[in-house]
Amino acid sequence: MTTRINIIKRIALFVCPAVLLLSSGCKKFLDVNQDPNNLVSAQPAQLLPTIEASIGVALGDDYYPYGNIWSQYFTQSAVASQYKTIDQYLQVNADFNYAWMHLYQNALINDQLMITNSRGNTALVQYLAIGYVLKAYGLQLATDAFGDIPMNQALQGTANKNPAYDPQATVYDTIFSLLEQGKALMNNSDPHNPGATDLIFQGNMNNWIAFANTLELRAYLRLTQVDAAKAKAGVQALYASNPSFLTTNAQISYTATGGNQNPFYIKEVALGQTVNLAASGTVVNAFVRNNDPRQFAVFDTIPGTVDTVIYLPQGAYASFTNKVCSTPAALVAGNPQDPNSALAPLFLISAAESYFLQAEAVARGWATGSASSLFTQGIQASFGADGIPAAAAAYLNYAPDAQFPAAPADEIKAIITQKYYAMCGSQGFEAWTEWRRTGYPSFFVPSAANGGRTYPLRFLYPQSELTGNLNYPGTVAETTPVWWDK
Amino acid sequence: MRTKLLLLLSSVVFTFAISNAQTIPIKGTVTNSKGVAIPAATIKIKSSKIGTQTDENGNFTLSVDPGKTLVISAVGYEPIELKAQDNLQAVLKEKDNNLAEVVVTANAIKREQRSLGYAAPTVKAAELTVGQSSSALTSLTGRVAGINVTSNTGAPGGSTRVVLRGGSSVTGNNQALIVVDGVPYNNSDNIGGGSLTAVNFGNRGNDINPDDVASITVLAGPAATALYGSRASNGALIITTKSGTNNKKAEITVSSTNTFSSILKLPDLQNQYGQGYYTGVKSDGTLAYNTQDWGDNFSWGAPFTGQVLPWGQQIDGVQLKKPYSADANNIRHFFSTGFATDNNIAVTSGNDKASYYLGLNALNSNGIYPTSVDGYNKYSVRFNGKANLSNDFYTSVNFNYVKINSGNVAGGQAGGSVLASLYQTPRDIPIDKMGDLNNKYYGYGYTDASGGYHSDKYGFYNEFYPSPYFLLANYRNYDDVDRVTGGLNLGYKPVPWLDVLERVTTDFSSDRRRLQTPKYTYSPADPGTAGNPPAYPASALVTSNGGYEEDTYTIGEINHDLMVTAKHDLGTDFSGSLMVGNNVRLDNATTTTISTNQSSGLIAPGWYNFGNSNGPVAATNNRSVQRRVSVYAGLDLAYRNIAYLDATARNDWSSTLPVNSNSFFYPSVSGAFIFTELIKGSNFNRILNYGKVRASWAQVGNDAGPYLLGTTYSQAAIADGYSGGVTVFPFSGVPGFMINDRLGDPLIKPEITTSREVGTELGFLDNRLSVIANYYSNRSKNQIISSSVAPSSGYLFSTVNAGVVENKGVELTLRGTPIKTHNFSLELFATYTKNDNKVLSLPNHAQIVIGGFNGMAIVAQEGLPYGEFYAVTNQTENGHTVVSAADGQPVPTTTAVYLGSYNPKYQASFGGTLTYKS
Repeated sequence: MTTRINIIKRIALFVCPAVLLLSSGCKKFLDVNQDPNNLVSAQPAQLLPTIEASIGVALGDDYYPYGNIWSQYFTQSAVASQYKTIDQYLQVNADFNYAWMHLYQNALINDQLMITNSRGNTALVQYLAIGYVLKAYGLQLATDAFGDIPMNQALQGTANKNPAYDPQATVYDTIFSLLEQGKALMNNSDPHNPGATDLIFQGNMNNWIAFANTLELRAYLRLTQVDAAKAKAGVQALYASNPSFLTTNAQISYTATGGNQNPFYIKEVALGQTVNLAASGTVVNAFVRNNDPRQFAVFDTIPGTVDTVIYLPQGAYASFTNKVCSTPAALVAGNPQDPNSALAPLFLISAAESYFLQAEAVARGWATGSASSLFTQGIQASFGADGIPAAAAAYLNYAPDAQFPAAPADEIKAIITQKYYAMCGSQGFEAWTEWRRTGYPSFFVPSAANGGRTYPLRFLYPQSELTGNLNYPGTVAETTPVWWDK
Repeated sequence: MRTKLLLLLSSVVFTFAISNAQTIPIKGTVTNSKGVAIPAATIKIKSSKIGTQTDENGNFTLSVDPGKTLVISAVGYEPIELKAQDNLQAVLKEKDNNLAEVVVTANAIKREQRSLGYAAPTVKAAELTVGQSSSALTSLTGRVAGINVTSNTGAPGGSTRVVLRGGSSVTGNNQALIVVDGVPYNNSDNIGGGSLTAVNFGNRGNDINPDDVASITVLAGPAATALYGSRASNGALIITTKSGTNNKKAEITVSSTNTFSSILKLPDLQNQYGQGYYTGVKSDGTLAYNTQDWGDNFSWGAPFTGQVLPWGQQIDGVQLKKPYSADANNIRHFFSTGFATDNNIAVTSGNDKASYYLGLNALNSNGIYPTSVDGYNKYSVRFNGKANLSNDFYTSVNFNYVKINSGNVAGGQAGGSVLASLYQTPRDIPIDKMGDLNNKYYGYGYTDASGGYHSDKYGFYNEFYPSPYFLLANYRNYDDVDRVTGGLNLGYKPVPWLDVLERVTTDFSSDRRRLQTPKYTYSPADPGTAGNPPAYPASALVTSNGGYEEDTYTIGEINHDLMVTAKHDLGTDFSGSLMVGNNVRLDNATTTTISTNQSSGLIAPGWYNFGNSNGPVAATNNRSVQRRVSVYAGLDLAYRNIAYLDATARNDWSSTLPVNSNSFFYPSVSGAFIFTELIKGSNFNRILNYGKVRASWAQVGNDAGPYLLGTTYSQAAIADGYSGGVTVFPFSGVPGFMINDRLGDPLIKPEITTSREVGTELGFLDNRLSVIANYYSNRSKNQIISSSVAPSSGYLFSTVNAGVVENKGVELTLRGTPIKTHNFSLELFATYTKNDNKVLSLPNHAQIVIGGFNGMAIVAQEGLPYGEFYAVTNQTENGHTVVSAADGQPVPTTTAVYLGSYNPKYQASFGGTLTYKS
């Protein structure tokens, strides 16, 4: 028996460490699942810049080629092929994956988390307020492009992985209410100011109030064709609050530092700096008709010439009539071979747009003021943004499209057409959106590359929703207008 | 792309025994296990023709050097080898008329094949090195039913995936576990870069030197691997390396294998249309092409005419000319012949207490890309030693060190991809003859007719993509790997029925990569006025911002096992053994990647250093720790040589599961019945010499990866798939964080796979023909997957327990030796596998997106096979495609539809081995 006992003793020497591990030490030994690589929670101060930059990427990168080509500022250049399908009106769902992702998974979810984390904390009221307004801005960006979108059931993570889509009318109602909620909280004297973490206004809450008012005006005016009464009531109620409107550009400024450059420029550099875009005949001919000096600001002239923008007719990249074309200028981020494109700012709402929106409200008789002088201020602001403020005065004198019409019926056309010139290259998506609403400018041509297809009136839902959302409503054709587009 | 073996240049094996003794006559006796003399047994000196036979009393005399190996054989007995010595007592064991092969199963437990209640086909060293693949894994292809070996690249060192029995996991790594001498190996893929810039750095399973391998046993079903735990739920390859033999003088084996390889398969390419593009339909209804865009990179131009036409850039006023016709082999001939030389030295020796095996290997190869940038050099040392310390204690150690340095050529579609550049070559461009970068029409930087050098101009025809030769000459992906694997076994055997074994193993590797992207900007040498529109406008730059990246992966695993095995015989008919054990496993991984600014790259060309970053350096680091503690037990029961029953049970506690539910238990039971034992000696038994049926039922549990319980934030970087990040933080000095795209699940449960298997093994005509057949059915439940979710939820992925996936199938292996003579034998083998899989349920998910790219998704959907293609397709009506009245284009469906599965209907292989005078 002694042998046995010895054996058992010796075995015990082996087994002991294992037994120790399994008892009290085991829990501790296994307690190593705290992720050292990521953060458990984030403060609004760290989320706000991400939200703003994400909107910058969605609007300034994903939306940029669609907006600028479908508003006939740019067309596919004859020496490359990257954006052919945009001129051909041949989109597929997957083309919009990144736009959707940047809106929902980068901008809106972080905004939602910022709102949730700020609620009820007196030190975070201004973050909460900005959160509401940016959510309204992001929702409008999404719904104007895609129509009906997930909203009420969206951004809930595990609680709802298949958000249902809400009608665009509901989305607009939410936009109005978010703006009111946000404005009510904004206070420039609040000692807890976001400061530099706010990439757009550096914490200037008065600018944010003006931004919210201008956005509200833009949103109500969007409904003029589908529900004029509601648009009118909304605009009148807004004016009744004695609102301030934007007099400066609401913009994100980019730098030459890698990763902080204009997002469209970064993409074009990653695509090998190929010159993919050329000046479109549609806008250039209109500029020429008005002898508009802004054409030399937004387009590069051909080397060796000083005063000629050489254009390609919209979509005519395959018909070779123009051997060498002007490219969009660095001012609007459109020239990948000009490093100054890195510095092009991204306008969320421009000052010029603010004046033209006010001019329209007055022209419709829904607000008091002088439509004509707001129209002029809009043109001046646009020349200012293009770096040629001094040239505005002469232009206002000689340009046919700068003359404010005498007949009220023509006023909307004149205002939207001037807004169109002001947005060339810098706010292509908004210009296309306003063309969808008003039909102005009236000189769009069918793309030479359209192959018989009709003009696109919306973005397609992304592939990621098509295959990933059980409540996917079905792809709506690109040619189907959105709700407010009557 | 795959390569084929062109030619075995030389394969030389020298074996020489060290001996200096005198030849003397020795005497001996040959008996069976019961001490009965065996007459007419053959005694031969190994590797010679010298030998003798025993007389009727089993006695023999032979002149031989003491210490030489004698092979002693007799009809009806297993041959044995013994060292020559006087008064040699040779005891032969009766042949069992069966497949009495010993296989090594889980936890390095040696078992007789006949006793296993599950399929465990074994491939021996001789078969593995036949064909001389540089990877032990690739040589398994086609040799075993149910195994699916895929190589990403044909180059030595490219990733090799081994998947057994289809994919049981909806998303995860379905690869089999590799275990070498009891050391679990990490065989995860190592792909550097993103989907556009993939560089395949190979996986670690390739580090195993095929020349060191003694055998590989394929354990397909989870029953076989219940003792390895969850990581073996996709099956296991149990690799045994060579070892020394006791009482054997030093033997040195030197072998050298040289292989050539060349390109086997390329995409099918058309040879009717050349460079240029289609521009539309002319008014007369014919098609119009632009054929004057000499800088174009695709073949959408006019049909070939054979007419001599200018091509490429106009340099110094001169444009080259060539016939406008297809150059059918322009892409094939771009590749060169790859060459690999594999040199091995192996030393084995042993005395009565200790023995060892020492293997040295050097594999030097240059792949099929021209130039030597795709070189792969591997050096390894393996030492396997064992020693008996006393009568009670024994010990063994195995140690393997591998050093690899290699150059890898980028794939994908981004700037540095040689294949992307090559495949878009128009069919008429003689790319295979354009390797001289000093030729002004082929290169970058050129000297004009008057001797002026233009460092900023390119002469190559393609204005959208650099020459593949330029990419090979300037882009570099270096990889340096050091890997140590090893194990220490300490055993205590106080009494014959008890064995206590403690084993500590480790697998530690450090993988350091350097990726160099050159910075350059070239504009066309052509003045850009010819053609319509003019080819080579000044804006047609070929440019790159350059970049430098260093990635370091350090992966370590430590296992500690303690196993106590007790054996007991109950009378003469019953025997049994019981094993209980404990495993502690620690996994540590650290990844660090540092790169120059991801959008602005380098400042000065040619200097690959972070000090040369144009803007902030991007750095990421990731650490992960995972720990598991397990206890397990196994019971084996045998009734004579006829019936066997095994049962196992295991309980794991894992650090990655929620603290209060981190334990999971999984049992298995299997049985085997050798029915030929009942008809032993009958006539029928002579035809069917061996027959076995077996059945098993097993469960395997699996835990989650580390850190999947919570939803977390990280530094903000907004990506668009083109660049490393369109907007990255800090942004103008302002920091930013963002929520990660994956939802965690704090209540995650372990996965459990339940498998059932029945099978039979039959041997006919003394095993000249053998058949192995299996039917199996596996169900995986509560799989832990990262499923894609609707981005409108705010997230892209979600960690969930989802689904029951069923895999059912049959496997058939046939082996036959139709010809077997003294000098010559032919062995043929064939395998057939059919696997049906089906997603039985996906609670809370109508379907899960498990993969796909761009427009095509691969999904798991209830009621369909796992891995169903799901995409928008053309609308049809009565079997006809619906086209748009406006433009004649097909009309797409408004939702995605199921388009079929990527799973093969069946897999089969056929092969043979021809041996002449082994």
